[in-house]
Amino acid sequence: MAQLSARPRVAQRSPLEIGVDRVWRFFCSVRAAVYEIVLLALLVLIGTLGNSSVPDGIADVLPFTAPLVREWYAWDVFHSLPFAAILTLLAVAITVCTINRAPAIWRAIANPTVPTSHGFLRGADPSARMVSTATPAAFGDDLIGVLKARRYRVLTERRGDEIHVYADKNRYAKLGTFPFHLALILILVGGIVGARFGFREQEVIVPEGSTRAIGNGTGLSIHVERFRDTYAESGVAQEYSSDIVLYNEDGEEVRRGTTTVNHPLTHDGVVIYQASFNQAVVLQITDAAGRVLFDEGLDLGIYQSKTNPDAPAGRLDLPMAGLQLNVIAPDNNRVNAPELDDLQLRPGEMYVKAIPTDPTKAVTAGIVRQGEAVDLGGLSVRFVRETQFSLLQVARNPGIPIFLLAAVLLVGGLAVTFYFPHRRVRGIVSPAPSGAVAALAPLAKRDWSGQRDFHRLLEEVANRLGIQPEVHASDESGFDRDGARPDGDQPMQPGRIRPAATASRARTR
Amino acid sequence: MEGLVKLSFYCFTAAAIALASSAVCYVAYAIGRVRLRQAVMQTSAGTTFSTSSAEFGPGAVGIGRYGTLLAWFGVVFSGLSVGLRSIVAGRLPLSNMYEYSLTFIFVLTAIYLAFERFYGVKQLGAIVLPITVGMAIYVWSLPAWMRDVDDLIPALQYNLMMTAHVSSAILAYACFAVAFAAAVLYLIASKRRIAWLPSPAMLDDIGFRAVTVGFPLMAMVLILGSVWAYRAWGTYWQWDPKETSALFMWLVYGVYLHTRGLRGWRGTRSAWVLIFGFAATVFTYYGNYFFGGLHAYGGV
Ligand code: HEM
Repeated sequence: MAQLSARPRVAQRSPLEIGVDRVWRFFCSVRAAVYEIVLLALLVLIGTLGNSSVPDGIADVLPFTAPLVREWYAWDVFHSLPFAAILTLLAVAITVCTINRAPAIWRAIANPTVPTSHGFLRGADPSARMVSTATPAAFGDDLIGVLKARRYRVLTERRGDEIHVYADKNRYAKLGTFPFHLALILILVGGIVGARFGFREQEVIVPEGSTRAIGNGTGLSIHVERFRDTYAESGVAQEYSSDIVLYNEDGEEVRRGTTTVNHPLTHDGVVIYQASFNQAVVLQITDAAGRVLFDEGLDLGIYQSKTNPDAPAGRLDLPMAGLQLNVIAPDNNRVNAPELDDLQLRPGEMYVKAIPTDPTKAVTAGIVRQGEAVDLGGLSVRFVRETQFSLLQVARNPGIPIFLLAAVLLVGGLAVTFYFPHRRVRGIVSPAPSGAVAALAPLAKRDWSGQRDFHRLLEEVANRLGIQPEVHASDESGFDRDGARPDGDQPMQPGRIRPAATASRARTR
Repeated sequence: MEGLVKLSFYCFTAAAIALASSAVCYVAYAIGRVRLRQAVMQTSAGTTFSTSSAEFGPGAVGIGRYGTLLAWFGVVFSGLSVGLRSIVAGRLPLSNMYEYSLTFIFVLTAIYLAFERFYGVKQLGAIVLPITVGMAIYVWSLPAWMRDVDDLIPALQYNLMMTAHVSSAILAYACFAVAFAAAVLYLIASKRRIAWLPSPAMLDDIGFRAVTVGFPLMAMVLILGSVWAYRAWGTYWQWDPKETSALFMWLVYGVYLHTRGLRGWRGTRSAWVLIFGFAATVFTYYGNYFFGGLHAYGGV
């Protein structure tokens, strides 16, 4: 009937209105949300497998899939347009869905409908009927007392000579779904903010005793005072750490501290991680006029000597001198391919090659011992000492606070929703020849736990008021069979209250 | 110290034996008694033929009780095994597949028993306990060097984070295993009305409740993992395959939580989602075998 009378109104609406309404309803639909999440999950699965050996395995078994598998490996799902699209779709759906259902949920919390009908209570599964010799008003008060003792909020309304009862508990927990779903959006926002306004330098190499600028608009530079590495007896690295000093643009010290693996140093949102370390050499380079061109650590280990890959090597560009210096350290692993070790450097020696940027000029090279200097290309290159460089990672991610807030909302929202379920009971207390009769039913269709709570409530009624409720529960409600369960170790069902015998055996379906 | 490590392994062996016996009891209990009847009949032509019919009845209460008792033995011995290793290592044993699976066996059995007590039904054990036995066989088959207690590489030396992150995962996986068992029984109980199985409504509730514990825990796994990654690697999310497969399984359970309220989906289809979710859980658990990436130091 409602549909019939609504039809003329629909016809009057403009196509635009209808279209907007359709789109709105699509975004509100939990059914559509299921498919959206399925789609997202599918993309995540494709991406996950794309980072595994599984597609290769498929191609091995089914050779004709090989081209597809290659495409699969090549596709960066998580940075693809479809992935961004489905995330956007979900974010919009969650927003619309929230706006759409918030008023109704609030109404159910703030002013729920109290009156109910005998028809509803008779049809409810389970339901209970109890008879008292007290007056309806007194019996109603007794029942309200029991409900309140079980932490229910009770609302009543008089209808003629009947008292209608609505009771619920954990009503505010219904709101938990909002922080939870909004947290999902916040996570996306955090990701976008981090990607847009943050930076991440994966390889900031600072030899011990040297200073490097961080860049990325921070104006900071890092000085590594000291690097330490310790090993367990087994040879497994136990810890590496760098003592660092941070300077601002004006060269003033702003922060001093230690960074170790898992314990980064943070300054003003900039986080400095200890990632790794390697060998370095401190060189002092002066030109013919005695000016110092370079006096700090040069990292070895990023480059490799072309002829001997086991030898750590470094490269230093000196544009003002028109030179590039290649520095090669002694072979680290003499046992491996000794024939490639054509320099045969001993510990405490470095091989230095000066390559002028002007190709017409001659390349010079030489071996320099620690504490000594060689003249190469018009420069004096002094090998001061060996040291280590610290491989740091520097990042700033302004999305982190958003992400942490989202995490709290997400878990908190879930906990509230799941662990404080909204329980509702409706009932009518009416006059009867003997005094009063009450009918009660939970709003717990297909909710086994909710029904069990109702049975506990009835047990409380029996205990406090000395009235045995007569319970009607179908097979579907799942309670009857427990009574007849062969294993009576821990009866789920409140002991003394048996479901009405007739209802329990009759299968309603 | 060596001795304690050995003792821990012996405790694991004892737990495995207890769990295997418990699994047998639970399965026997859940299947119930089957009585075969043979009847010899005579046709009008004078020939005889025999028919046999099966009669089913609920399992003996006693065998269910033995199942529970043996499962408790399993919990105690696997708990001892985990405890002894914790003493040797000075941390919970969670750092390679051997330690991790050992702890998982303990947690899964304990969580199962909690559900058994809470709901007062034992039939889930017929599915959960065989899973623990499967895990025990897996632990057994791992190379022996994994049984040694090793030093950890620096990225893993973050006790609090590692314990919280990894133990949340173990708890979540255990809950999902219980939900899986409930879903399987649901499908059986809703197809054919076997009188001594728990009602489908209760099984649906068990599955849901297990997910209401597992799902937030899994969210914690993802969150703690990213907080830890942020401290150790400088980025909280790297699209590492172990991360994304955990996200994938979380989303599958997200689907489940939505379908449970949908007409046409609740009941049977939701139960299938739970079964699929458990497949995703297993995939994530053993992911180290085919993922590269940063979680590769699972010691497989
Ligand atoms: C990745 C995306 C999503 C995830 C992981 C997710 C997860 C969840 C979870 C765990 C629940 C149960 C807890 C609760 O009630 O708060 C839930 C319920 C719900 N979600 Fe979502 N959700 C997502 C997207 C959406 C979207 C897009 C919509 C809107 C169309 C939506 C609408 C709902 C509704 C209406 C409920 C309550 C359902 C009920 O009580 O039966 N969700 N969601």
